[in-house]
Amino acid sequence: MQEVFGVENMIEVKSLEKIFGDKQALHDVSFQVKKGETFGFLGPSGSGKTTTIKILTGQMRQSAGTANVFGVPVSKLNTPEYRKRFGVVTDNSGLYARLTIYDNLKLYTDLYDVSLQRIDEALEAVNLGSEKKTQVSKLSKGMTQRVLLARTLLHNPELLFLDEPTSALDPANSKHIHNGLKELNRQGTTIFLTTHDMEEADHLCSQVAFLNKGVVQLLDEPKQLKKQYREEIIGIELKDGRELELPLKASSAEEIQQYISREMVERIYTKEPTLGDIFVEVTGRELV
Amino acid sequence: MTFSVKRFMAIFQKDLKDLYRNMYVSSTALMPIVFAVIYSRVGEVPLAMYLFVITLSLALVGTFLQCAIIAEEKEKNTLRGLMLSPATLTEILAGKSAVTIVITVIVTAVSMLIMGFSFAGSGWLIAGIVLSLIFFIALGTWMGLITRSVMEASVYILPVMFIFGMANMFIGLVDQFSFLQVLEYTPGIQLEEIAKLGDAGAGFDELWKPFAIIGAWVAAMLVLASVTFKKRMMD
Ligand SMILES: Nc1ncnc2c1ncn2[C@@H]1O[C@H](COP(=O)(O)OP(=O)(O)OP(=O)(O)O)[C@@H](O)[C@H]1O
Ligand SMILES: [Mg+2]
Repeated sequence: MQEVFGVENMIEVKSLEKIFGDKQALHDVSFQVKKGETFGFLGPSGSGKTTTIKILTGQMRQSAGTANVFGVPVSKLNTPEYRKRFGVVTDNSGLYARLTIYDNLKLYTDLYDVSLQRIDEALEAVNLGSEKKTQVSKLSKGMTQRVLLARTLLHNPELLFLDEPTSALDPANSKHIHNGLKELNRQGTTIFLTTHDMEEADHLCSQVAFLNKGVVQLLDEPKQLKKQYREEIIGIELKDGRELELPLKASSAEEIQQYISREMVERIYTKEPTLGDIFVEVTGRELV
Repeated sequence: MTFSVKRFMAIFQKDLKDLYRNMYVSSTALMPIVFAVIYSRVGEVPLAMYLFVITLSLALVGTFLQCAIIAEEKEKNTLRGLMLSPATLTEILAGKSAVTIVITVIVTAVSMLIMGFSFAGSGWLIAGIVLSLIFFIALGTWMGLITRSVMEASVYILPVMFIFGMANMFIGLVDQFSFLQVLEYTPGIQLEEIAKLGDAGAGFDELWKPFAIIGAWVAAMLVLASVTFKKRMMD
């Protein structure tokens, strides 16, 4: 494992490029993911998120640049030893439709050499504890997605790659998965997550990278980004329905105090941009 | 290169269980038994008919089953998961081949039982069948690697069926259509040759030739399958 600034890097990507025929999907992608982090890889459809995950998990070779996972080049990851250390759910992972959830997971406990007890634990984590005997063909899309997630949790991977893990889920199940991922992360699992759900990223990630047209345009902590892009404005909503915006400066203090002392104020707030707002500002594109 | 018996067995069990519920593929694999039932009603069955059913099960079960279960893993995006797990492509294909071998042996044995054919004293024929089975499974593996869906596999199996699976029947038409002579070199016809020579009590000085021809098919198919396999491993 390579050490940078005293912290282990699980993933190191430098000047990564991927060309499909005459189409360049990744132009210049560089980032690092530290051990224990939940890293959000954000970008609109077609920006290269899945391509990056495929390269990082050894399903595809890069055209140029370096990509290291666990401190070794991705081309060396295809040994059983390394594969036991990471887990992947991509948007086109599949299950055996004719088999039950249990049988699908049992196969993987054998492949990863873990105990059968992990099946119950993993299904509990995705809220499917009672569906063990259900045939996969009878599952909804969201349930299928949760089984896939459970499957990658079986072997307790150190590093988890999730390609839009909640894209097919309703809010209640998204929340359940989010809590599960937070818990995993608390226990030390490093998570690399792609999404175009900015709220999800904000909620889960300690670092986010904005990917646009195959280029990483911004990389920082969500909190820092929001601070950096915060408008220096105080918003005041008055009881009579008026809304005012005052500069966040000493000069506004007196005016604000007036409103407060006359009990006219309904609400005072600072204007926090969402990650979505920042993305639009940085890339000039909506995140859809 | 490691080979894990545990992972091989895991694939084997999964595929067996899955096949049991796969009506389309398993009903195709039962075809030779249907033929066997029909022929068993005919009464006096010539040797060529036994060999026809044996060859049919080799092609229909050995090749089609192998091809279909590999192709389906690609079609349903399940191969990706296996390949990202500690399982190697060798273990995966070995597990599948084991399923195919077991089913082929059962279907062939049951068909012959129904037709009242005894393998007693047919050591040469059994050896020939085993050698041919390697060819048919390698063929199925190669086809599985190049096809992307069960539908595609069902189309690709047709020429294989006509050339390799039914050669023993079509060869009867060789007087009308002389081009059918090429079929004489198929493993099926060579198996018939082995059965005839074996029955006549011939020794290896005569039997080596059909074995060599089948062996050549095996060698060629193994080369083709492993070249495709290596290419697959790359991407
Ligand atoms: N196998 C491929 N062959 C050719 N082009 C490809 C291939 N895979 C991806 N691409 C192209 O590369 C670009 C990036 O695709 P990618 O799937 O990585 O996007 P994404 O960010 O995951 O999008 P989404 O949010 O829709 O999943 C797209 O323009 C896509 O058309
Ligand atoms: Mg994608």
